[in-house]
Amino acid sequence: MHAAWTVKHKPKSLAEVVGNREAISSFEKWLKSWEKGIPKQRAAFLHGPPGIGKTVTVEALANDLGMELIEKNASDYRTEEKIRQFAGLASQYNGFFGRKRVILLDELDGVHGTADRGAIPAITKIILNTRYPIVLTANDFWNKKFVAFRDKKKYLIIEFKKPPAREVLKHLKRICAKDDISAEEEALNFIAQRSEGDVRSAVNDLQALAQGKRRLTYDDVSWLAYRDRKDVIFTVLRQVLYGKNCNAAKQAVDVADVNLDMLFEWIYENAPHHFNVPSELANAMESLATADLYRGRIRQTQNWKLMRYVIDFMTAGVAMARDKSKPSGWIPFRFPQRIRTLSASRVERGKKREIGRKIKLRMHVSVVAAQKDVLPYLRVIFESNTEMAAGLAQWFNFDEEEVVYIAGGKRQANKILKLVN
Amino acid sequence: MQFLYGLVKELRELSFEMWAEKYRPKFLSQMVNQKDIVERLASFVKSRNVPHCIFAGPPGTGKTTAALSLAHDLYGDTYREHLMELNASDERGINVVRETVKTFARVRTLGEIPFKILILDEADNMTGDAQQALRRTMERYTETCRFILIANYSGKIIEPIQSRCAPFRFTYLPREEQNKHLQHIAQNENVNLLNDGLDAIYDVCGGDLRKAINSLQAAASLGKPVSSETVYSVVGRANPADVHAMIKIAMGGNFVEARKRLREMIMKYGVAGSDIIKQIHIELFRLDDIPENWKVKLAEIVGEVDFRLVEGADEEVQLSALLARITEAGYELKGG
Repeated sequence: MHAAWTVKHKPKSLAEVVGNREAISSFEKWLKSWEKGIPKQRAAFLHGPPGIGKTVTVEALANDLGMELIEKNASDYRTEEKIRQFAGLASQYNGFFGRKRVILLDELDGVHGTADRGAIPAITKIILNTRYPIVLTANDFWNKKFVAFRDKKKYLIIEFKKPPAREVLKHLKRICAKDDISAEEEALNFIAQRSEGDVRSAVNDLQALAQGKRRLTYDDVSWLAYRDRKDVIFTVLRQVLYGKNCNAAKQAVDVADVNLDMLFEWIYENAPHHFNVPSELANAMESLATADLYRGRIRQTQNWKLMRYVIDFMTAGVAMARDKSKPSGWIPFRFPQRIRTLSASRVERGKKREIGRKIKLRMHVSVVAAQKDVLPYLRVIFESNTEMAAGLAQWFNFDEEEVVYIAGGKRQANKILKLVN
Repeated sequence: MQFLYGLVKELRELSFEMWAEKYRPKFLSQMVNQKDIVERLASFVKSRNVPHCIFAGPPGTGKTTAALSLAHDLYGDTYREHLMELNASDERGINVVRETVKTFARVRTLGEIPFKILILDEADNMTGDAQQALRRTMERYTETCRFILIANYSGKIIEPIQSRCAPFRFTYLPREEQNKHLQHIAQNENVNLLNDGLDAIYDVCGGDLRKAINSLQAAASLGKPVSSETVYSVVGRANPADVHAMIKIAMGGNFVEARKRLREMIMKYGVAGSDIIKQIHIELFRLDDIPENWKVKLAEIVGEVDFRLVEGADEEVQLSALLARITEAGYELKGG
């Protein structure tokens, strides 16, 4: 149903691109120079870490200048042959309507030195004779395979840097304004800081957290602190939930450098949202229950060899539960609620225990029994009868916070506390 | 004057306690039930000698009250000085026995009765090690200290301890006795307790007097005559483990919401997985809208889950697998 926000909110114009003003302006100058004739540097090499706007810059500028963008990324051109076919032709012949044109060879990191032997020399050869600007992008410019591009006379080399958090924050604010989401500054700032300049991942985060909401609070986002790299866990989840065969699903675990219990929670949380046929969902949940059974056995016997069965059932078992169903549209992955609840309720449980302790002092029951057998009735009383509640609050010696907790809210608690004082 | 009267009246009304505590018998002679047990305990008081005892029986049947009353009768108003009350659920480890219990047990008490009393509540929650340690302590300090172990199931107390104790088996209160007690409280507290309200309390609490009194007080707090309706609404609010509703939601196809309910029961209200599974098992055969052939199929899963919980598996994960099957059953029923 939903488009990815990285696409939906992609900058249409250069002015909207986040950060890297210097790099962008030298790139702009170079591209505009093609209007006066073919420059010495026929290709620009944009490099820098992922998600900071290299591709977006090219797209936005092409749009601003009314140029036709011919774009291919690593998965499209693997061999010398393919590159010649595509880029060779595009670099020589006019497009329809005689529009100006820019050729983008994206994600060169994906070109393998050995498997795609000949790809890089083919590119350099094409650049030598191109009649249209060619733009290359890669993360790791200093990789050996790119040695050929280090010649500054032939190539304009532009480094893109991670934009500072405040720039990312501005971008997130812009998106929220467009989508009519009222977000706490603190929440957006948290996402921006976490992203470490990776704008794309920040936008993905924002979408996962805010989509379908009118409000975004700090509480909504603080769980991000738990994960290392979200694309790692998201990739693994996709592999498990939509794996075509057992091995593909199982490999997810090898790839992911995540704690297995944590991964289990992720799968357990998200599986129900990704299986829409009840029988398939039931099979998936059963598989998770079986994995959990082995976890229990490991805990009890300390026989860690059993771990392989945990992995089998939580990955392959879940993947194979899918028969033919496929949810339509983009479904965001959710952070495991149980862990969220657990940390959120740690304070609450402390409070509840203290209340239990005070009940115990008065009523000759254990703290546990007090919470289970007495507290529920106290709740009813505190919600319905302020006078009786006030009397009991004194008798049990509950403090203000405890009264608020039992009464289920500040308003009712204040009425009770007024009677106490 | 009028103002002062109002103030005094208000203060008086504010002096609430939990009725279960306020009306807890102080002496053996005030105990409303367990006649045989009370008689035997009274004979201990008369002879000024008490053996080690085990009080076993379901909750809310007067075990703790009997132990406290016995001590009160034995020592008089200063009974607190001769008594220690420990709850094994809160202090269940072996260290408690080694330190707290031993320190208390070995010091001789001053007074005409040469021994103290240690009440160990919920003793069936003690670890095996702690029970072994307790056994030796009981033996060594018999002269200075007598133990009253309180438990729901005496079976969970190790054989050597059982053989050293006089056993007392407490049973649920009969309906008339519970009713009499509740009516007495209602009268004292100016609560209009209707007959059907009284019946409802017994239906819900089944002879657990503490639960019955708590229910009465919570129902009375609504400020209306206590009818079956008020009782059921209070009990419903006090018992969030609405397994019935959860199953209905799953049957209706909303697994995610059903799992959310389950999660709340376990995490927010601390309901034990074993209690939930017991409820599910009851509901399963009660519900008309589950296809008959599915009931057996589901019962098999319920049994398996029950077993797995004993094996240490995760309550929510296991139970939600069951909910997913129930969701499937509901879907099939709708002709999906």
